[in-house]
Amino acid sequence: MTLRLFKAAVAALALGAAFAAPASSQTFDRPVRIVVPFAPGGTSDILARLIAPKLQEAVGQPVVVENKPGAAGNIGADTVAKAKPDGHTLLLMDIGSLAVAPSLFPDLSYNVENDLAPVGMVMFGPYVLAVNPSVPAKSVAELVAYAKANPGKLAVANSGVGALNHITAVALARNLGIEWKNVPYKGGSAASRAVVSGESTVIINGVTATLPFVTSGQLVGIAVTGDKRLPALPNVETFKEAKLPLDDAGTWQALLTSGKTPPEVVAKLNAELQKILAMPEIQEKIAEQGGMVRPGTADAVKTWLSTNTKAWGEIIRAADIKVN
Amino acid sequence: MTQRRIDWPDLLFGLFLICVAAGAFAATARLSGGTAADMGPGYMPRAIAFGLLGFGLFFAGRGLVRPFAGIAQVQARPILGIAASVAVFALLVEDAGLALAAFAAIVIAALASRESRLVEVLLFGIAVSAGAVLLFVKALALPVPIWPW
Amino acid sequence: MELFDNLLLGLSTALQLNNLVYCLIGVVIGTAIGVLPGIGPIPTVALLLPFTFGLEPASSLIMLAGIFYGAQYGGSTTAILVNVPGETSSVVTCLDGHEMAKQGRAGPALAIAAISSFFAGTVATVVIAVLSLPLAALALKFTAVEYFSLLVLGLFAAVILAHGSVAKSLAMVLLGLMIGTVGIDVNSGVARMTFGVPALADGLDFVPVAMGLFGLAEIMANLERPETRQVVSQKLRDLVPSWADLKAAFPAMLRGTFIGSALGVLPGGGAALPPFTAYAVEKKLARDPSRFGKGAIEGVAGPEAANNAGAQTSFIPLLTLGIPANALMALMIGALMMQGIQPGPQVMTEQPQLVWGVIASMWTGNLMLLIINLPLVGVWVSMLKIPYRLLFPAIVLFCCIGTYGISNSVFNVWLMLGCALVGYFFIKVGVEPAPLLLGLVLGPQLEENFRRAMQLSDGDPSVFVTRPISALLLGIVVLLLAALLSPAVLRKRKQALSE
Repeated sequence: MTLRLFKAAVAALALGAAFAAPASSQTFDRPVRIVVPFAPGGTSDILARLIAPKLQEAVGQPVVVENKPGAAGNIGADTVAKAKPDGHTLLLMDIGSLAVAPSLFPDLSYNVENDLAPVGMVMFGPYVLAVNPSVPAKSVAELVAYAKANPGKLAVANSGVGALNHITAVALARNLGIEWKNVPYKGGSAASRAVVSGESTVIINGVTATLPFVTSGQLVGIAVTGDKRLPALPNVETFKEAKLPLDDAGTWQALLTSGKTPPEVVAKLNAELQKILAMPEIQEKIAEQGGMVRPGTADAVKTWLSTNTKAWGEIIRAADIKVN
Repeated sequence: MTQRRIDWPDLLFGLFLICVAAGAFAATARLSGGTAADMGPGYMPRAIAFGLLGFGLFFAGRGLVRPFAGIAQVQARPILGIAASVAVFALLVEDAGLALAAFAAIVIAALASRESRLVEVLLFGIAVSAGAVLLFVKALALPVPIWPW
Repeated sequence: MELFDNLLLGLSTALQLNNLVYCLIGVVIGTAIGVLPGIGPIPTVALLLPFTFGLEPASSLIMLAGIFYGAQYGGSTTAILVNVPGETSSVVTCLDGHEMAKQGRAGPALAIAAISSFFAGTVATVVIAVLSLPLAALALKFTAVEYFSLLVLGLFAAVILAHGSVAKSLAMVLLGLMIGTVGIDVNSGVARMTFGVPALADGLDFVPVAMGLFGLAEIMANLERPETRQVVSQKLRDLVPSWADLKAAFPAMLRGTFIGSALGVLPGGGAALPPFTAYAVEKKLARDPSRFGKGAIEGVAGPEAANNAGAQTSFIPLLTLGIPANALMALMIGALMMQGIQPGPQVMTEQPQLVWGVIASMWTGNLMLLIINLPLVGVWVSMLKIPYRLLFPAIVLFCCIGTYGISNSVFNVWLMLGCALVGYFFIKVGVEPAPLLLGLVLGPQLEENFRRAMQLSDGDPSVFVTRPISALLLGIVVLLLAALLSPAVLRKRKQALSE
């Protein structure tokens, strides 16, 4: 009886993992892996697991998601950078991390521009700027006025030194001429928890993680990035409306592969990605993550990377942010 | 030589702590210390290292004056066998695949014991490696190759 | 009564046939991965996540939760039988559980572990049902200041824990704190003692360190003395715990459940604190503390109960506030969002059948685990009939695969090897590695919270005594310290150790 239960469990697992793969494409002759350079459960991980089965159908080979967390995404990115450049090793991550990596880590073990080849953008998730209800501010103007009247009193929780929301907070403060403490946490959910509990008072974080707290009243929404207001928060103004800089800051998730991959393989991957992103069920799931699907060319990602590497780099150097 | 001294376990443990403390001081020399109210990254490691150094000196000193206490004899075979087994696994798993790495790990680990029998180990190795491949790669989708090719 | 209605609503969800089946699948997979050293619930849940998209939200959460607490059950099995702690939470179970196995009492140890877990699971289910809202509110009161004080208390508990000299266990805690500082410093972003190795940037993974220090080092030492280990594979007759065993274990179970339920709610401290604290409490309360570490059944019952209760109450912040208490709960949030449910306090009112269904399923799941595990005790124990010369290479291999699988990193395998050699050294010089592991787990949080508290209070250390919860916790530390240093206790300790 008990043995049978175990067999059932193993069978249930095997069922999920038994990849029936009809050979249909010559380009892909062995399993494809999508490296996610973060622990399971984050946005990149969920996206990769969403895309993997669709990609598997498209390329006719098993597609497995592999988490290689560590060193702010650099371990996973390095794996892909050093992999055989034949399009069988993909990288799915927030490319904001790639844009800041060269400025933060002078002795990076790979070159973002040469060792990684963009395949295409996947989604954009805006940031929400929110405060603990104890802060007497409901709008950007009120928040700035409060910060100016009480220099150093507000504490902005970020998901780690050198994380994008840290750099965004630093850039905002410089731009607005305000002074607030930057308090680093281990990851975004620890940061949100701290602002909900009132340990820190301000947070700039992805909409996925922050929205529920704002809709439930545990946090007060101040502003959102992106080109338009969020349907869930119609009364919260955009960065652009509030004349704040960095109005396109947020999570930019993209698919990449090893740098020397032949252009025709990248083109094929991009074509498949576009088909996948056009699927209504994928769009629906990404919308549930609080994000927007961003179809587009590989070159668009390349442009995004070079523009932002430069822009973020200037902020990092000006604010003297160091992660060794 | 009427009375033997030196409590070897204490002495060695003390020396070990001193070495760790010294290593920590060396590795954190470049980090800024700061004050207790405003710690730099080097404050905590150095504070702990001081504690370790203190304990190390205490144990080493106590070991020298205490009556003799020996250490059970160290045998090279188990240590080398297990260490080699783990090392070979680490070297093989990503390139040569799980099947070979697992088989090699089992066989080399078995060398650590005098009681192992050659044929039995080989058969057992094949069986366990096959089981490991089925379980970890097929069922649990551990992302490693099965074979080197 | 509202609570009663809620529980009934939950039971009606949990007892639906399909939910029972998913619960069963969850706990069986959980047990299996718990038994296999190193395959933790996190990668398993991540792997199964995509397959839950098609399920009802309640079914998918019930199954994933089952994996989580099922793994807590299974993890203790390897800890007891082969001294390999698969999870942080089962380190403590190794101490007395494996000792019991060595004395031919593996059966009672496993049975008590299962019974304690079931008991704790049942109580924790009720705790969640009754107290989730107030407990969640309490957890939110914990800021960096309170965490720091709690962690200090936890570390002091670790000193009481060891069964060697106080000085040696203090040194081991410090050693654990030391290696806990390896990696990027959260507060400044500076890499410390990483020697340029990127794999060290996030610090040392707990599992390779634990497996090396406990599992592999133990094998190396075992192979040197053929006579002692044979005891493990003999005398399997009495599988069932005796009446005296149960009587000794019951109060420990109660206390462990209480400790686990309380500490499990707090984010962060999570898996490590409840069993360690429960063990320390048992040892403190025991009439003869010297039995601990030599196969005391309370040393299995208390931590196992604490561990399971903690695993379950860690769902409270998730279900009531939408805040994950640990990495696994973060995955659960991912699962919820894939189902189109925004986690948060509104879930409780908008999706009561989901929340209460999951809570009620924890009880049915625990019952299933008991029914599955009690008969399995015989199967597991008969595993020890496999000659050690075959068993140990297999353990070595599973440790290798397990450590590799945590983050698919060969570096972790090398780290485990290094820790095995150090662990062997510790065995030779007669020091206990458990306090080191606690230091390793809690050290980084201790420093992080202290520095954050100082940053937020602008460098004013008085916050630690002016905030009531923190003052209370530090007060307990002072009391413990006074008790530890009091002449009476010192004398008793000396007596106990002189044996």
